Amino acid sequence: MELSTSELAGTPVIRIRGEIDHGNASTLSTAIDDLLNTEQHVIILDVTQVDYMDSGGISVLLSALRRLRERGWLGIINPNANVQRLFQIVGLALDSSFRVFDDNAAAEQALRETART
Amino acid sequence: MTHSHIAFSRSITVQPDTSQLYEVRRFVESVAADATLDSERTFDLMVAVSEACANAVEHSGSPGLPVKVKAACRGGRLVIQICDYGGFRLPSTANGFQRDHRGLGLPLMVALMDEVRIAKLSGGGTKVTLSVKLPAPALC
Repeated sequence: MELSTSELAGTPVIRIRGEIDHGNASTLSTAIDDLLNTEQHVIILDVTQVDYMDSGGISVLLSALRRLRERGWLGIINPNANVQRLFQIVGLALDSSFRVFDDNAAAEQALRETART
Repeated sequence: MTHSHIAFSRSITVQPDTSQLYEVRRFVESVAADATLDSERTFDLMVAVSEACANAVEHSGSPGLPVKVKAACRGGRLVIQICDYGGFRLPSTANGFQRDHRGLGLPLMVALMDEVRIAKLSGGGTKVTLSVKLPAPALC
């Protein structure tokens, strides 16, 4: 798994590439915690290049969501169909603070709407 | 041949470390291809086996006994057994889906597989059996 960070409309984006599992999820967790500690209201994960995720990765998302829920939301860009299915099974898809976007443009629009409110 | 109904049986043994999950998934991918599973069912099986192996790694503790993953095609199903030789511990479901890091593995296995069985091995250890119906049952 490789991580790189950038920004979208002033919000941090972590781009993840590869497979997220029980063996490497702590690396992702650390990267997210670093952002959460800077009092970010929204964090975006671009998973376009993630072809596999198991409960190691899901746990990291649940932890991030728990910390973000009071102040904002967690955005996910472009999960593949299998990963989306996992989100549905574990109930993440029903969580209003967990927002899935098809692409960067959709995420950017949501960020601008959040900034206006 | 006494195994005339078995199309194949393959196994892999790995050290009890979550860094080995990547290798276990390549094994699962390979047997899933042999069993003609589509990419969706292959993904489901990779997740379920990873969850079982992650539990097995946790059970194994020190001195770190290896984890064995065995795949066989039989009765119109692809059956994968994950055995660890540590102490028996029932996978926890107490925390449910939304709460925390623990407890997601078993519910995911059950949600994704056609059948999940968990057995205590004599002499210590846990055997998890996962099975998926094949798209073409005539294969085995």
